[in-house]
Amino acid sequence: MGESPLKVMVVDDHPMWRDAVARDLAGAGLEVVATAGDGEQAVRRARAVRPDVLVLDLNLPLKPGVEVCRELVGADPSLRVLVLSASGEHADVLEAVKSGATGYLVKSASTEELLDAVRRTAVGEAVFTPGLAGLVLGEFRRLAAGPPEPAPATPAPRLTDRETEVLRLVAKGLSYKQIAERLVISHRTVQNHVQNTLGKLQLHNRVELVRYAIETGLDED
Amino acid sequence: MTGEPRGRMSVEQPLWQALTAYRVLTMLYAVGLFASAYHQFVRPGLAVGYYVVLAVWTLATVRKVSDARSCTRAFLGVDLTIAVVGILLTPLADSASRIHAGGPTLPSIWTAGSVLAFAVKGGWRWAAFASTLVAAANLVERGAPTRDTLHNVILVWVAAIAIGYVVEVARASERTLARALEIEAATRERERLARDIHDGVLQVLAMIRRRAADGVTGGGADTVELVRLAGEQESALRALISRGLPGPRDAVPRALPAGGPRRDAGPGDAEEDPDAPVDVRALLAGHATGPRIALAEPGTPVELPARVARELSAAVGAALDNVRAHAGEQARAWILLEDEPDQVIVTVRDDGPGIPAGRLDAAEREGRLGVAQSIRGRLRDLGGTAELYSVPGQGAEVELRVPKA
Repeated sequence: MGESPLKVMVVDDHPMWRDAVARDLAGAGLEVVATAGDGEQAVRRARAVRPDVLVLDLNLPLKPGVEVCRELVGADPSLRVLVLSASGEHADVLEAVKSGATGYLVKSASTEELLDAVRRTAVGEAVFTPGLAGLVLGEFRRLAAGPPEPAPATPAPRLTDRETEVLRLVAKGLSYKQIAERLVISHRTVQNHVQNTLGKLQLHNRVELVRYAIETGLDED
Repeated sequence: MTGEPRGRMSVEQPLWQALTAYRVLTMLYAVGLFASAYHQFVRPGLAVGYYVVLAVWTLATVRKVSDARSCTRAFLGVDLTIAVVGILLTPLADSASRIHAGGPTLPSIWTAGSVLAFAVKGGWRWAAFASTLVAAANLVERGAPTRDTLHNVILVWVAAIAIGYVVEVARASERTLARALEIEAATRERERLARDIHDGVLQVLAMIRRRAADGVTGGGADTVELVRLAGEQESALRALISRGLPGPRDAVPRALPAGGPRRDAGPGDAEEDPDAPVDVRALLAGHATGPRIALAEPGTPVELPARVARELSAAVGAALDNVRAHAGEQARAWILLEDEPDQVIVTVRDDGPGIPAGRLDAAEREGRLGVAQSIRGRLRDLGGTAELYSVPGQGAEVELRVPKA
């Protein structure tokens, strides 16, 4: 890497794990600008050091990882968040992705996979595990099946047939390269499709939040 | 007495409200009854005196029957005394002919309020005690146990005891419910703690694997073994967590929040209803045990009748056996579970060499196709389909589709 190294911040409450990840990242030539052991520390330090990529555990003391993600990405949409979680509670992972995380990896991933994921996250690629693809597919189907509230004020986001197809292949463990081969499209196009699915989910989430804010704001009058 | 639930709506609270209204209304009724027959009384003064006491007492103690705590033993004692005294005063105040004809006592049906207060406060034993006293007073008032007196006495007695019994049952169920809620809260807390611990253990295992893998070239056989063990334990624990933690909470009826901890529907529960819905995810989690098998699924429960879910899960198991048999122990497999509006789809893919075109059909024609037949057969029985296909260089895929009933 000729230009300035990638600035990474590692947030995890287990010191040994945090240090190990930080060492691996630093060893690969990335600059670990900060680490944090709890949610509040994470928000404060990330605001101070402004990393390119935040490697975030979801299970944090003081403030859950999902909340950290929401606050930081809300304030600075250019921040990239890669979720690195141990047990992958479904609801948390989905919530984090809706709140702006663009990558997800389980902790059993190898060092190479982690480095690859951090670099891809940094350039704005969506990093999906098959598990995350399954969750996202499920979430779109859940939203399409109709919201529980009586008036669907915001229409449910929908995937195009191609996006669904790509996401299903990701969930079945195919690499982007294999998907590109199978669908006879370019690697870049596969990436775009995957990214669009996340974009739609995040947009829907933001619209819902705004709608919620307006509704509660009006109710207060 | 035993801890009445405070603040929250209970079964017995409406009874207290009804009783509060009943006492005031029956007091007015008794006074009205007296006023309409004033000239027939031999000692109207005595009756007026009694009614003044009754009215003052009833109005002064309106709040005493608003709940179990306000309703003290002293109040109950005085209340019943007033009722009994009223009954016993009746022959002195009213004319003998009216009493003989079965006319009302001075407190008339107000007496029942007092007995009911005993019932609601203390259950059927207290009710039996109070109604027996009232019955005795009634018999003394009438002088002789005539048939309609007995009839009325038994009616009050049975009603009071029944209501007392109902109150006891209601209280017992409320206590059980409160206890169940407590257990559930405790279980949830324990699950949260367990999750934290598991999370930590998972991390450590992942780290051992990672560190050891880095130094594995010089580590020798022990390290290789350590790496393997750590990897196995990690995936076993992950599978356990994603399936939900088994525990005593299964004995407690509970609403299952979507995406929350799932009820364990392991292959072991044989006693359950074959048509009861079970979460297919819980069954499939049992298959994704090794580090080589990944499971992708929706975040919300995918429910199918137990019978169907088990067949589907067995078909997935057969497909995974097939992967091991044809693609080797080292092959990786991915299970994708999808919940569509009208069907459930499970896809099992491996990264093995795949199936040469036509080989499956050939095998089918020759009649030796254990796997395909077992999987297809199972799915056909469920009204679904199983499709096997293979893309060169991308392994083989089995797609199982089951229609929703």
